[in-house]
Amino acid sequence: MELSGFLQNVLNGLAIGSVYAIFALGYTLVFSILGIINFAHGAVFTLGAYFTYTLISGQFSDNGLLKGLNLFPNGSPLSGSAWGFALSALIGSLLAGVVAVIIERLAFRPMRTRSADPLLALVSSLGVALVIVNLIQILVGAESYSFPDGIYGNLPPALLFHLGDKTIIIRTVQVIIFAVSMVLLLVLGWVIGRTRTGKALRAVAENPGTASLLGISVDRFVIITFFLSGLLGGLAGTLVGSSFGIAGPYFGVTFGLKGLAVIVLGGLGSIPGAVVGGLVIGLAEAFVPSQYSAYKEAVAFALLFIILLVRPQGLLGQAQIQKV
Amino acid sequence: MEFLQQYGFLIATMLQQGLLGLSLYAPLMAGQLSLASPGFYAVGGYIAAILLTNPAFAGWRDSLGYGIYPLTWLLAALACALLGLLVGVPALRLRGIYLALATIAFVEILRVLSLNLEITGGAVGIFAIPQPFGFVDRWQYLWLFLPLLILTLLFFRQLSKSRTGRAFRAIREDELAADAMGVSPTRYKVLAFVIGAVLAGIVGSMSAPFLNTWNAKQGTFDASIAYLAFVLIGGSRSMWGPLVGGALLSALPEVLRGLADWRLVINGLVLVVASLYLPQGIVGSLSRKPKPPTRPKPPTLNEGPSGPPYTSETT
Repeated sequence: MELSGFLQNVLNGLAIGSVYAIFALGYTLVFSILGIINFAHGAVFTLGAYFTYTLISGQFSDNGLLKGLNLFPNGSPLSGSAWGFALSALIGSLLAGVVAVIIERLAFRPMRTRSADPLLALVSSLGVALVIVNLIQILVGAESYSFPDGIYGNLPPALLFHLGDKTIIIRTVQVIIFAVSMVLLLVLGWVIGRTRTGKALRAVAENPGTASLLGISVDRFVIITFFLSGLLGGLAGTLVGSSFGIAGPYFGVTFGLKGLAVIVLGGLGSIPGAVVGGLVIGLAEAFVPSQYSAYKEAVAFALLFIILLVRPQGLLGQAQIQKV
Repeated sequence: MEFLQQYGFLIATMLQQGLLGLSLYAPLMAGQLSLASPGFYAVGGYIAAILLTNPAFAGWRDSLGYGIYPLTWLLAALACALLGLLVGVPALRLRGIYLALATIAFVEILRVLSLNLEITGGAVGIFAIPQPFGFVDRWQYLWLFLPLLILTLLFFRQLSKSRTGRAFRAIREDELAADAMGVSPTRYKVLAFVIGAVLAGIVGSMSAPFLNTWNAKQGTFDASIAYLAFVLIGGSRSMWGPLVGGALLSALPEVLRGLADWRLVINGLVLVVASLYLPQGIVGSLSRKPKPPTRPKPPTLNEGPSGPPYTSETT
């Protein structure tokens, strides 16, 4: 492969991989605290994209109960500028975080208080996902929505640079997605690694029983975890939506499955693992030759299958010894 | 007769879904949570659909007559047994959630393949699949699904009484102890997995003509989840559980038909409420047997990544 093509693929892969990473972090945070995979995470991703779309003054089409609705018509402070979009994305993601907390309250906490089989929590979170996805369908219909042009303000449409006689094109969106993801990951890494809250979170993840004996309110930190998880999922939805458009209520289903591949690849419950896993899968997908692009969707799952067979604990996960 | 005309299709669907629930129950007998059933179901269906419609097999169809249908069941069973071995031997080194995720990956890879291969008809799939034995009404599939169900239930009953069934239960309750007693976990886990694969494959090969069309939508993650819900809502500790769960949950959208758009929302709510209030499943709650002993758990939370049954294996 020529150098320019190689570089192009690397840059494309890093951009999409960084979104996989922040999405998968939401899964991994919940898993590290509760030991359970929240299957409603994909639905939260979809919701985040729709929240932002609504705030940015997106108009709904002719299907669903919200037909023709435009909550913030043009001229509202949240439409038409890059800052407006940034603010909408922030509020949209916060709302997604709130939804994740509600999901915890409805689908996970009752299970914990009964110390039920973790599998039941899985089914219950799937039930919640089913409810959310179908409620979206009832409200806004099944069609795809595109974020309006110009949400990224007056930035040039693409960054170009030349390498020999080839031109490498990076979409502005990709740069923004990558930058936002990296900043977010650094902030999150700092919060978890350095702050008091992060220490408490890690203590709860290590051993909830001991943590509660040490005066840490486990319930409170579970809520914080779910809020962070929803925030990350919602933001990932907004970023992907702003790049490709929202592909209907089932937008997050495939993404949710890919997120699972990402966290297992990196190591279940490992935060750096989620980042590495996301970037690896993003890069692997970018390098699928165009004549096989139909098989791109299978790349993440093929990698997942292989890694499970070769190194079940994932790239950065720690081996665990079976307890007797 | 009028009753069958009206409800026969629904009843046949309920039996078919119950059978698929049972295909997920088979590996669970040995304590293995596998979500691979839709993959095998899809493979079985594709084998039948291709044999019954592809011009390449026209000669076989002419010479075999209706005999082609039993042949599709047999081939589907063989292919799924082989595929089950191929996937099962490496995958069953994994435990709990890791096995579940590996099987999800298996189903997704099959889905993408069937969506893009030529022989599976790509995204459109295969349609106009001829009906077996001169069937004109869908309810007549009861003559296929009912005997298969009875055979399956008899098989599972005999199995659970046999040495093999006791080995399954031993592994389910405590794999390490079973291993220490000389029960080879790998062998029995793969066997249970293959039984489920074969059952799902046969149901698939009967369902392709039943649905008249076969495409990549038949084997998806959604289906994995639906079958898992059958087993957990019905009850995972008796063979009647997946059957009852499958029949009830597949009838639910039909019963709620009057609510049109809202039925899937209600379906989701049923899953949430049932997993909260019927932790043993419907059948488990009805039976008077004492609760199976549960492992002691910490007061509020599971132990995180290392706690049962989400335990990764490295030996």
